[in-house]
Amino acid sequence: MSAASLKIYCPCLNPNSLPPPPNLPSSSYSYHEIHDLYFCEECDSIRCNRCVSVEVSGYYCPNCLFEVPSASVRGEKNRCARNCFLCPSCKNTLIVVPSDPPESADGRISSINTLGDPPFFLYCSHCRWDSAEVGITFEKPTSLANQLQKYEDSAPDNLEFERLKEHFEPFIRASSASSSVTHHLHTAQHIHSNPITAAASDALSRDVPGVSKYNPLSRSRVGRDKANRDEMPEYRSRMDVSLTGSDSANVENLLRIESPEEIATLEQRWINSWTSSVLTNDLKPLRIPLHSKKSKRCPTCRHILIKPEQKPQSVRFKIKISATSYLPLMGISLPFLNNPTTAAYTAKRSIRPGAMWEEDKNSTPNNPVMVGGRTYPFVLSFTNPMYDPIQIRLNVLRSPLPTITTTAPTDELGTAPQPEKRRPPFAITLPTFTFSVAAFAEAWEYDDEDGDGMIEDEYADLVDDRRHASASSRTAPGRGGKTKTVGVLEKKANTTYIGGEVVIGKEAKGDIKFLMMVTFTYRNDTVDDMDIGEEDGDGDGSPVRTTNPQSSSLANANKQPEIRTFSYYVVVDLGKIAQKSGEGSVDERR
Amino acid sequence: MQQPIYYSRNEYIETDTGNKVSRKAIIAGPQNIILGGKTIISNGAIIRGDLRRTGSGHTVVISLGRYCLIGEGCIMRPPYKTYRGNFNYYPMKVGDHVHIGAGTVVEAATIGNNVEIGKNCVIGKFCIIKDCAKIEDNTILPPNTVVPALAIFRGSPGRFVEELSESTPERVEAMTKQYYNRFVPMQDQ
Repeated sequence: MSAASLKIYCPCLNPNSLPPPPNLPSSSYSYHEIHDLYFCEECDSIRCNRCVSVEVSGYYCPNCLFEVPSASVRGEKNRCARNCFLCPSCKNTLIVVPSDPPESADGRISSINTLGDPPFFLYCSHCRWDSAEVGITFEKPTSLANQLQKYEDSAPDNLEFERLKEHFEPFIRASSASSSVTHHLHTAQHIHSNPITAAASDALSRDVPGVSKYNPLSRSRVGRDKANRDEMPEYRSRMDVSLTGSDSANVENLLRIESPEEIATLEQRWINSWTSSVLTNDLKPLRIPLHSKKSKRCPTCRHILIKPEQKPQSVRFKIKISATSYLPLMGISLPFLNNPTTAAYTAKRSIRPGAMWEEDKNSTPNNPVMVGGRTYPFVLSFTNPMYDPIQIRLNVLRSPLPTITTTAPTDELGTAPQPEKRRPPFAITLPTFTFSVAAFAEAWEYDDEDGDGMIEDEYADLVDDRRHASASSRTAPGRGGKTKTVGVLEKKANTTYIGGEVVIGKEAKGDIKFLMMVTFTYRNDTVDDMDIGEEDGDGDGSPVRTTNPQSSSLANANKQPEIRTFSYYVVVDLGKIAQKSGEGSVDERR
Repeated sequence: MQQPIYYSRNEYIETDTGNKVSRKAIIAGPQNIILGGKTIISNGAIIRGDLRRTGSGHTVVISLGRYCLIGEGCIMRPPYKTYRGNFNYYPMKVGDHVHIGAGTVVEAATIGNNVEIGKNCVIGKFCIIKDCAKIEDNTILPPNTVVPALAIFRGSPGRFVEELSESTPERVEAMTKQYYNRFVPMQDQ
């Protein structure tokens, strides 16, 4: 049973783009949990991890958790220079263990040395690999990286890398003067490079003098303007790669192996930057690659959205502009799924009179499911994070085009992605009127913490409310009176609960996913709050100057700057429609 | 809005600080265990407060923070090692807002705040899990593993998969508080 979920569409720098159909697997990259999103106040728009620009603000080792200054990051080639090693066999972290102490005459272990006896070696507590097998032992249990330095310095990949660096050194020096001039121009055009390239080039330009930031626009021009790139001498590698991987030696080894475990898997060898032996016995411990802390910026206006604290293991941020403090927090629940006893009351059979028997077979009390040909209620909750009340309006999108006709009987969205299989649709009913969500106040937070006694009663009320939802929804304004469960169900503190209904077609199957445009109006704090009383009240029916629904973000353009409107798309996933026992399983296997 | 999670009123003992401890959980050596308040210990959990450091006097063996959840059938056991020829148990410290899924065995040394641990995991001896980390279901963390802050670990042996979003502290805090508030005794019918 999949849980119902809500995800928000990030337009990723293209404010007029329409969200992709939610049923396509590829669309999942466009929809994000609200907790993963940022909000740029300057641009008044949602930002996600795929569109922000990322800068590295510090490095640390994920094992010893030490912060590594960027100078030694370069010197140690992004790896921990302390005692942290990865097991070459299973990628677990290795521990240093002493050799077994020599046994004294009476058979008891007499260890005088507190640290243990040399030689020390690295040991994997997961797969029991140990470095003595490959001939790596240590005189003392500290600063292992230094002791290993001599092995590493003579490794062929290291020598080749040094040689490459030497080769490019003169070129870097020569171009450093010119690139630093163009540097400022390029940062402004930085917008369209992807975050990873940006982070890498930022780090590179900081650490390596003279390397300008990567810029797809400038690259071609630099190449044309400066002829000195052509003047570079041709690089010759230390040794010919085709000769290093001596197949004859490998064949010799392969002839002698007795079990497949003696050959290292591709995964184990993948991390090596150089052609290495295929034998497991030749795998060397790896220094742990460093992790980084990142700060994030709005790609358009370069305002900082995330700025972490310097300390590697701190989870606090100097700047954190998360979407959760700007957009209402939405929740969804399907009452009948969690509370099977109420399912009998709330879900009413609509299409097939004799469906009851089959439903009972499918939806056991322990694992209730949605089946075709029935109507199910669902509850959306909106929690306002802002200190001002907001008005929200929901529009369910029926088709790729945002033509808003709430009374349309079918939802075409379900059929679009899979044309080869005619998929019977489902229909969503949600209130179309504007409803209000009260402002956030700290007092409610405290209530939540201390008022334990009340909580039970409140929940009991809620369940009760949903069971006999007719009372509250009939009083709700708008066209919600058609069905019992649609409308404003309850308002509690800064949360408003909205009831909706889904009618599932008789032969429907697959996921119930639909797109919904959420438009909310709020008061902008920056101007004087002269006429709060006008809008403050229970604004259920208050008209909203809806902006062009095609644009995801629009500040109100007419002469009332204190009221602003923000729209965004949400994909609602109510879960899977249960397969009918007979023909459904056949179709699934097809 | 989430549905309440009901339990039978006589199955759990509620303390003055709001801890809810199942009568079907095995709490060994309760004098060596500290619960921070509003912590739930589910049915069948085993907490070994009796495995204490040798020596006289009062010691804290396992301390849990506020709003923690010890899932059904979890085993919380302090880590041990032989140091200089002496076998000893070492205390385990768990921060606030930590959820541990059902069937997980924990022998960690330190678990930070806002940590989510999935079902059927094994957290090896002397593991250190920093704040806001997440251990997915069925993960095996070998002894001495360090999980950095805001990291997701998965697999056997558990390895770094991904970083969590920056708003994880708030999300987990809200989730654990909500869970505690949803965990209510069944109304008498």
